[in-house]
Amino acid sequence: MTTHFITAEINMQESVADLHQEISATLSNYGQPLRWAVTSVDAQQQTLALEAVVTTD
Amino acid sequence: MVSLGVNRPYVVVLLIPTGIGASIGGYAGDAIPIARSIAAVVDCLITHPNVLNGAQLYGSASNILYVEGYGLDQFASGKWGLRPVHQNRVGLLLDQGIEPELRIRHLQAADAVRATLGVSMTDYALTDTPLDVGLHLSSSGAAWGTITNPDSLLRGAEKLIRDGGAEAIAVVSRFPDEPNSPSLQAYRHGQGVDHLAGAEAVISHLVVRTFHIPCAHAPALQPLPLDLDLAPRSAAEELGYTFLPSVLVGLNRAPQFITHSPLRPVDRIDGLWANQVDAVVVPDSACGGSAVLNFSHSATRLITVTENQTQMAVFPNQLQLPALRLNSYLEVIGAIAAHRAGVHVETLVSHLSSIKPIP
Repeated sequence: MTTHFITAEINMQESVADLHQEISATLSNYGQPLRWAVTSVDAQQQTLALEAVVTTD
Repeated sequence: MVSLGVNRPYVVVLLIPTGIGASIGGYAGDAIPIARSIAAVVDCLITHPNVLNGAQLYGSASNILYVEGYGLDQFASGKWGLRPVHQNRVGLLLDQGIEPELRIRHLQAADAVRATLGVSMTDYALTDTPLDVGLHLSSSGAAWGTITNPDSLLRGAEKLIRDGGAEAIAVVSRFPDEPNSPSLQAYRHGQGVDHLAGAEAVISHLVVRTFHIPCAHAPALQPLPLDLDLAPRSAAEELGYTFLPSVLVGLNRAPQFITHSPLRPVDRIDGLWANQVDAVVVPDSACGGSAVLNFSHSATRLITVTENQTQMAVFPNQLQLPALRLNSYLEVIGAIAAHRAGVHVETLVSHLSSIKPIP
């Protein structure tokens, strides 16, 4: 198993439930999420900055 | 005449994420007074190790539940419940990378907590390789971390559970000594971000995610030279040779996780579940975490504290999260006491407008 720190930018979603799904889908591209947070919001671009640590086997 | 109590327990979750430079709670257990105060006005306070760990000092009360961050995220999602316990057998896992004398200091700290506080502990274990912790500071200013040998961590935890009968795991990893680093100097003076925090969270999250039992972490570091300008908020971590006592005290009575799938009928009765949480309290700028977003789907009230500034920049209005935004934790304690008493906080003002008809 390996741990990785990753960053990603995701689009703002219509609902918090959709946002959660979008975050899960984005992180699954990198590995199994261990810890994550949305760290900032760009209201103009309607994007969110995501930071996370994931694991891969 | 016997009065039957049918009051619903008032449950609050207090979140101050680690490694985000929270001006209150981002140092050496400096949020313990807040936890103790909120616990005095609720039936049950659920919070995480960063809030309650003050190295040699700790905060504990019979109605405070010490829940590791990954477990708290799962609890908030509704997937896991919490089952309070009378006590856990705590297994101590030491990083092989800790030098012999510092290892002995940790074993002595464990013996002290056993003899003076009566905490139950299994025999200890060493990891089979050094864990090799890596620290990262992200562009947001938050502290994150990785470890080179996570499998060694998990093998050690498994050994404690399987061979030692551990019901909770205390991990101690060797962290790099950087006594002259600007970030450490700032931290010692009550400023900046705890550089170690992100890696600590990753370590305990790995154990909880894999084994579904309580876990918490203490870093192993060489003692620092005397600093005459040491901030009160950071002082608790410079009283001794280890950060271990608060971790052992927290794990002593940390609730077990209910993770059966499908749930048994007794799990719903015995356990505490997210839909029983009345309020979640978080710094106003740190609303982008998993637990907050999960609670926002539910009837749990979100209360944010603007005075508690962090490196994060995710405010409730940006995500359309309905929130009671208060300035200080003192106001939070008042708002919670009022809500629990059935009093609407908006009535606690000198002038109250008359009730109006629905348009």
